[in-house]
Amino acid sequence: MSTHVFATMGTTASIRFAGESPAQSVLDALEEGFAGFDARFSLYRADSELSRLARGELALPKASEVVRASYVEALHWRSVTHDTFTPHRPDGVIDLTGIVKAQAMAAAVLLLRANGTADWLLNVGGDVVINGSNSGEPWRLGIVDPDDRLHLLCAIALDPGRTALASSGTAERGEHVWRSRSESAYRQVTVVADDIITADVWATAILAGGPSTLDLAVDEHGVDVIAVDTGGRVTASERMRRADGFAAL
Amino acid sequence: MRRRAIVWSVLSSGVVLAAGWQLGYESATPTSTTATDAAGTSSTPETSAGSSTATSTTAPSTTTAPSTTTAPATTAPLASTAPTGVSGTFTGSGVSTRYGSVQVQIVVADGSITDVVALKLTDDDNRSVSISNRAAPVLRKEVLSAQSAKVQSVSGATYTSDGYLTSLQSALDQAGL
Repeated sequence: MSTHVFATMGTTASIRFAGESPAQSVLDALEEGFAGFDARFSLYRADSELSRLARGELALPKASEVVRASYVEALHWRSVTHDTFTPHRPDGVIDLTGIVKAQAMAAAVLLLRANGTADWLLNVGGDVVINGSNSGEPWRLGIVDPDDRLHLLCAIALDPGRTALASSGTAERGEHVWRSRSESAYRQVTVVADDIITADVWATAILAGGPSTLDLAVDEHGVDVIAVDTGGRVTASERMRRADGFAAL
Repeated sequence: MRRRAIVWSVLSSGVVLAAGWQLGYESATPTSTTATDAAGTSSTPETSAGSSTATSTTAPSTTTAPSTTTAPATTAPLASTAPTGVSGTFTGSGVSTRYGSVQVQIVVADGSITDVVALKLTDDDNRSVSISNRAAPVLRKEVLSAQSAKVQSVSGATYTSDGYLTSLQSALDQAGL
């Protein structure tokens, strides 16, 4: 068991290997992959491609293929989530912040697989994607109680076929989600899905769109959700309620 | 944009169980599905059966309301007046709402609702609507207070680099458990 921690995208990433650590070159490539996404997509960097797009110095058709592909994927999710997830800021600027971290994580998954690295868990700022197992046991994840971030609400075992868990909330970075209504019912939303982009987008969309978006995600898109509302109450989808980590009822 | 809520009561050995069933949209406050030894309430009944009153949440008589909850909580009547340990499957009679007809089945284990299934649901045009894996409220006492749970990683609202330093994740990474 070894853990590698590095800062990226304004947060901290940690990857844990159940078995042998991969070669240093793989870890370097992993970090470079995240740094590359950040350099291109960050609106906090004046020289990034997204900042140039925002200032009108660069037209979208002239943007790099990776930026255009990211934007296309974001538009797809805007449609799927009934516009609760959107790559457009209210001022019209294209903002891919809501999807780029998950896209970078998805790229990291491909990199690690290509290098034959098995049995790892990658956590970037609280969004998690796993591979394989933890020495034969399922990887177990805790969900933080938004009312006490040093306390867990519950714990969930991810199986190798359902590899991603992402949370979106208002506790740590304030209101970083553009809400479709003046108030949302939820202050923390956690989604379990088959891949990290699906999990992350729905977490953001449900936080922005509230219960109707949660129902859409659970009923029609097969994800699982546990959400905490502004009153501290917990809502969970059926499979989530049956998950390991919930007290026997 | 629609919402529906069903409240019904099951009388069994003097026990009243009620579950709120929220269907649809335009909801700023979720419907609470609660079951207690003595009473259940729904925050937003569209229709109601029995003698339930509308409040936000009901604290089970066997526990105190979680201290972290800021929602108003009412205390159920004394446990001594209510039998415990009711288990079984209960099917409510069809309830007609503004939005159509619904029949709901609940599974109760030891006085708590563990599952809610919509058996029949029709929309305004009399089409059947299928509901599966519907998200429902859970009481905090139903989720493990997982301080002792062995986890390798945690998830919550995204943290900044500074926030990471004081996070559970940081402690887990340092411990390398």
